[in-house]
Amino acid sequence: MTDCIIECCGLTKRYKSKAAVLNAELKIYRGEIVGIIGKNGAGKSTLLKMISGLVYPTSGELHFFNRAPAGDQSFFERMGVLIENPGLYLNVTGYENLKLLAIAYGLKDSNARIEELLQLVGLDGSRSIKVKGYSMGMKQRLGIAVALLGNPDVLILDEPINGLDPQGIMEIRQLILELNKKGLTILISSHILEELSKIASKYAILHQGEIVEVISREELQHKCEERIEISVEEAKTAIPVLERELNLMRYKVIDSRNVYVYDTDITIRQITKVLVEHGVMVDSIAKHKQSLEQYFLERTERAGEHHA
Amino acid sequence: MLNILRMDFYRFVRNRIMYLLLLVFCAFQIFGIFMTKQYAQEMEKGGISVSSLNESDFIQYTISQPPSWMLVYIAVFSIFFYTSEFSSGFHKNYIPMHRARIHSVCSKILVLAAFVAMLFLTMLIADWIGRTLFFDNTSLGDPVYLMKLLISQFMLHWAFSILILYIVMVVKNLLVSLTAGFVLALNVAGMALSALESLVQGLHLSQYLLINTIVRVKDFNNAADILHTAAVAVIVILVFSFLAVRYKLQEDLN
Repeated sequence: MTDCIIECCGLTKRYKSKAAVLNAELKIYRGEIVGIIGKNGAGKSTLLKMISGLVYPTSGELHFFNRAPAGDQSFFERMGVLIENPGLYLNVTGYENLKLLAIAYGLKDSNARIEELLQLVGLDGSRSIKVKGYSMGMKQRLGIAVALLGNPDVLILDEPINGLDPQGIMEIRQLILELNKKGLTILISSHILEELSKIASKYAILHQGEIVEVISREELQHKCEERIEISVEEAKTAIPVLERELNLMRYKVIDSRNVYVYDTDITIRQITKVLVEHGVMVDSIAKHKQSLEQYFLERTERAGEHHA
Repeated sequence: MLNILRMDFYRFVRNRIMYLLLLVFCAFQIFGIFMTKQYAQEMEKGGISVSSLNESDFIQYTISQPPSWMLVYIAVFSIFFYTSEFSSGFHKNYIPMHRARIHSVCSKILVLAAFVAMLFLTMLIADWIGRTLFFDNTSLGDPVYLMKLLISQFMLHWAFSILILYIVMVVKNLLVSLTAGFVLALNVAGMALSALESLVQGLHLSQYLLINTIVRVKDFNNAADILHTAAVAVIVILVFSFLAVRYKLQEDLN
């Protein structure tokens, strides 16, 4: 994953005086699933629309494959887009929607490709039903099929699981993972963080139009991992004791006084007992576990305080 | 460009509203001829009864009667064809393609040309049926004159459809666009400007307005009239096509 395919450089979009997205910096590498997290109105859709070429940035630049498009729109052709509601004609069938787009793309063997996509998204049995008779989940799946029709390198999905039932959410999740396995880079926004945490390999947290943090899945897991936070007089005295007495393997020294212990089979009571027995003063000790939701809230609150 | 045009034409030929509009137009055109026979047989156009007019003169006569129903049908179709794609959001699926914004507008302009051509064809068929049934008159007049008239009016009506396309693109609202279309078809602006002009001596700008040019009875054997008509049509087509493409290129597709 070393190939940077999209780079947002100080991307800003203002509507009159209000900034919907402000100075966004984000790098997206080939094969990643990037989750865009943010509250309603945080600027997720606007950011995705700028990346997909639907909305022009007020300032800043987009680089594709390390090149600035500079008026060349051809890079946008390599993206499949499903932003907000799927763009579909309701009075025709899903097949006909795909057929129309296939004509626009100039696909040679469009019928075979349409059949393949309908099968992929699980709509091959509904080809004669008009889109107005589709459920929300079916529309979203057809929207994904539409986005995939042009064989894109990048798939941009804005809230693809909005309004879906648990079964629908699971199906979309599996489809996204399947597409990613086939080599597609995916940008996905959602405010259902639990779902996003099951698929994304990187997260960009947006707050009031600003990307306040870009964090990898591993880093996030590490930050949200269950741990015991110990504050002692001197960490360098406490560590050898814990290593020797409790066979401590997984820990992190934060500073001269603070240590995080990640070995889940060690209890607070054991640590306190051992440290006290060896004359190490314990200032505080507490168990810490954070969900993605809590982390997101904490991060956006911190950003909010910074703004204030 | 060709692919987007093919897509728009695929949608155009499968569009039931288009056929419905043409059918309604055809029916009303025949009904109009019937009503003319019933109540306006005595009405004279420069001393000649309407029933004795050849097709060229009959077209000039019907187009010059306000409101111009052809313009109303064109406005309705132009607004419908554009908003059906825009409000469904389907354009978002292909607009990231290379130069798709330009191609999309150009293809819609060509589809509108096809619709205007079909409307004229329907008018000719309806006139032929109506005039045969009610006037017992199938005279076409001078075919060259008729061709000049049809080509000129086609250009003017196509220009009108592009003007409406531009309005609906900018306004993005069905009701406001329809209202604007009706107001233009009724030539309210043209009449108001003509009235104002009558207060100022030597000013004759209103004759160059598109709708005024459409409804004015012209002599297509007169080179000045042909030049006037062609100039107005070409200028409106070029200006509003350019404005529509430029608008689409700068538009944020939210």
